[in-house]
Amino acid sequence: MAITDSTTRTGPSWFKRNKLAIAPWLFMIPALIFFAIYVVLPIFESISLSFYSWNGLYRADGSSTAEWVGWDNYVKLWSDDRFWTSLGNNVLWLVLFMLAVPLGLFIALFLNQTVTGMRFYKSLFFFPFVISQVVVGLIFGWFYNPDFGVVGSVWKALFCEETVNFVGNVTFKCSSTPPDILSSAEFATYGIIAAGLWPQIAYCMILYLTGLNNVAADQIEAARLDGAKGWKMLWYVVLPQLKPATFIAVVVTVIGALRSFDMIAIMTQGGPYGSTNVLAYYMYETAISEYGERYGYGSAIATVLFLIMLVYISYFLFRMYQDEKEAR
Amino acid sequence: MFLKFKSTVVAALAATTLMGSAALAGDLVINFDDLNPGPKKAFDDAVAKFKAENPDINVIVNNNDREAHKAAIRNFLTADAPDVTSWYPGNRMAPFVDAGLFQPVDDVWDANGFHDDLAAIKPTMSRDGKIWGVPYSYYQWGIYYRKDIFDKLGVAEPTTWAELMSTCGKLKEVGVTPFTIGTKFLWTAAGVFDYINLRTNGYDVHNDLTAGKIKYTDPRIVQTFKNWEQMINECGFVDNHASMSWQDAIAPFANGDAAMYVMGNFSVGGYKDAGLTNDQIDFFQFPEITAGMPRAEEAPADAFFIPTNAKNPEDAKKFLAFIARPDIQTEMNKTLGQLPINSKAEVGDDKFIQEGFATVSTAAGLAQFYDRDAPAAMAKAGMEGFQEFMLDTSKMMSVLERLDQVQEEVYK
Repeated sequence: MAITDSTTRTGPSWFKRNKLAIAPWLFMIPALIFFAIYVVLPIFESISLSFYSWNGLYRADGSSTAEWVGWDNYVKLWSDDRFWTSLGNNVLWLVLFMLAVPLGLFIALFLNQTVTGMRFYKSLFFFPFVISQVVVGLIFGWFYNPDFGVVGSVWKALFCEETVNFVGNVTFKCSSTPPDILSSAEFATYGIIAAGLWPQIAYCMILYLTGLNNVAADQIEAARLDGAKGWKMLWYVVLPQLKPATFIAVVVTVIGALRSFDMIAIMTQGGPYGSTNVLAYYMYETAISEYGERYGYGSAIATVLFLIMLVYISYFLFRMYQDEKEAR
Repeated sequence: MFLKFKSTVVAALAATTLMGSAALAGDLVINFDDLNPGPKKAFDDAVAKFKAENPDINVIVNNNDREAHKAAIRNFLTADAPDVTSWYPGNRMAPFVDAGLFQPVDDVWDANGFHDDLAAIKPTMSRDGKIWGVPYSYYQWGIYYRKDIFDKLGVAEPTTWAELMSTCGKLKEVGVTPFTIGTKFLWTAAGVFDYINLRTNGYDVHNDLTAGKIKYTDPRIVQTFKNWEQMINECGFVDNHASMSWQDAIAPFANGDAAMYVMGNFSVGGYKDAGLTNDQIDFFQFPEITAGMPRAEEAPADAFFIPTNAKNPEDAKKFLAFIARPDIQTEMNKTLGQLPINSKAEVGDDKFIQEGFATVSTAAGLAQFYDRDAPAAMAKAGMEGFQEFMLDTSKMMSVLERLDQVQEEVYK
C-alpha cells in the first residue's frame, strides 16, 4: 500500500505512462508532415483547381488570374475525344501489361534449373529491368525507326533494292514503304506497350524466381509420387505456393501500366495526333507542356485519374488488411 | 481557398527574394534565353558595348537555356522579376500582357523614332493599343532547294503555283521526291500551312484565323487545304515524315533524294553540317497562288520586354532603346546570322541573309508563325490536325470540323 502511494506521488511522467502509444507517432511525424505537404495537400489543391479556368499565371501583385467556372471543365471532358482516347489507352495498357505476369512466370520456370553459368543467364534476362525506362524508350524508338532502325533495315533487306539516285548517291527503292509503327494511329500504342513489357517481364521473372526458391521440395516430391507432372504439377502444386509472388507481380504490373508516362513522353509525345495519349500524359500536355497552360482542365483530368486509381488502391488496401487479419 | 493559400505563398516568396537579391539603384538585371554559341556571343557583345557606353549602370546577365527559360519566366515575372527579359511577340506575349506582367514601352518607341524604323513589326508588338517590347532580330522562311538538282534538270526557281507543280512533276520523273519535311514535332507542318494560307488568302485571313474570327470550315480555309492536298498529290513529301524531326529530314535532302524544304533560315547551318556547300543550296520565296495577292511572309521575331515588377525600369528603357539602334542591330545580327529589324541597319553579306532581307523587307505583312499567332491550345490542336491531314488527306473535313470545335472552346 505504502509503495503504491509513493509511486503515485512521485509518479512516472505523462510521457512515460503513454510511451507505447506515443512512440509510433513520434517516428511517423516526419513522414506524415512530408506526406501531407507533398501528397495530400496537392490532391486537394488539384481538385479545387479543377473548378477554375487558369493559365498558371499570377498578376504582378501576386494574385492569381484563375476564374471560377464550376463543373465546366468536367462537362468539356465528357465531350472531348482526346480524353476518351486516353482513357481507352489506359485500359489497353492495363490489359496488355498483364501479359508480363504469365510470361515472367514461364521465363522463371525455364531459368529455374541448375546449369553451369545459370546466374549469368539470369542476369541477362534481368538486365532490361535495370536500365531506365527512358533508355528503353529511346532504344525501342530507334528499333522501330523505318529509316535506320532494325525494322527499317530488315524491310530494306527484304523489299528494297539499292540504286543510284539523280545526283549519283546511293539510295533505296522499295516495292512498298516500310511500316512506320510509332507514327500510325492504329499501331503506335501497341508499339509502346511492347517496349514497356520488355522490362516488366524481367521484373515479374525475378519475383517468380525468388518465389520458386521457397517452393517446398517435399510437396513436389509427394506430388511426384502421386503421379503429378507437367501442367498438373504446375497448376495444382507449384502455382498455389507461388500465390504471394503472383499477388505482388500483379500489383507491380498494374502500377507499371499506370506509370506509362515516361515511355510515351520519350517515344511519341502522345502523337500521332493524340492517339497514344494516356490520362497522365494528356494531363501533362494540357497543363504543363509548352502548348498547354490550361491548369484547370489539366486538374480535371488529374482528378478523374485519381478517382480511377482510388478504386484500385482501395481494393489493394482492403486485401492487405484482410491478409493481416488472417495472419493475426 | 487553396488558390489563395498559394498566392500568399508566392507573394511571401517574392518578398523574401526581393530582400535577398536587393538590387541597388544602378543595377540592371537582364534575363536572356540562348546559350548556343552564336546567339550568346551576339548578346554578350551587345551587353559589353552597353556597359562601355553606360559605365554607371551595373549590368547583371542571367543567360538560360531556351526551354528552361520558357518554364522559368512564368515564375520569375511574379516572384523575382528582372529589369529586362527576352520573350516572343504575337500571341506568345498575350498571356503576360493580359495578366499585367509586362510594362508598355510606347515612350521608348516615341523617343527613338521606332514607329518608322521598326514599322514592319509594330502590329506584332502591339496589344490593346499599346506597344509592349522592342525586337532585336528575326529571320525569313521560304523554300530552300538543291540548286544542283534544279540546274541538272534545267528548271528555274518557280514563281507561281503552276510552275511549282510542273517543277515537281519533272523532279518525280527522275525519281526525286520534291519536298522533305519532318513532322514529328508538328510545327514544321504549320510552316507549310501558313504559307499556303498566306498565298491563297492573304495576311488578313491568316490573322483572322489565328485570332479566332474565321472558322476552319470557312470556304477560304477549305480552299487552302485543297491547295495543300494538290501539293501532297502532285508534289509529295518524303515517306515517314511523321517519325522525323526537322533535323532528321535534312538527310534525304542532303542525299539528293528530296529537292526542296519549306523552312526557316536557321536550317542553313544544318544543310552545311550535312555536307552541302553554298553552291548546292539556294533559296526562293514561296510561289504565288492567288494571282495579285500581296505577298506576306513568315518572319518570327525575338524581342526584349520590361516586366511590371522591374526594379530599375529607367535603365531598362535605356537598354531597350540601345538594343534597337541601327549600329547595334547590324552588329548583333551579323553574329546571329539573322536579319536586323531596324530598317536603317545593314545586313550581312551571306547570300541567304541577303535574299532573306530582300524577301522580308518588301513583304506586305509579317506573320509570326502559326504557333505564335494562335493561342497555345489552338496551336497544339491545329498542328496535330495538320499532321493528321498530311498523313491522310481524305480526313480533311473531319479534321477541320474538329478544329472548329476546339476553336469554339479556346476563344470564349
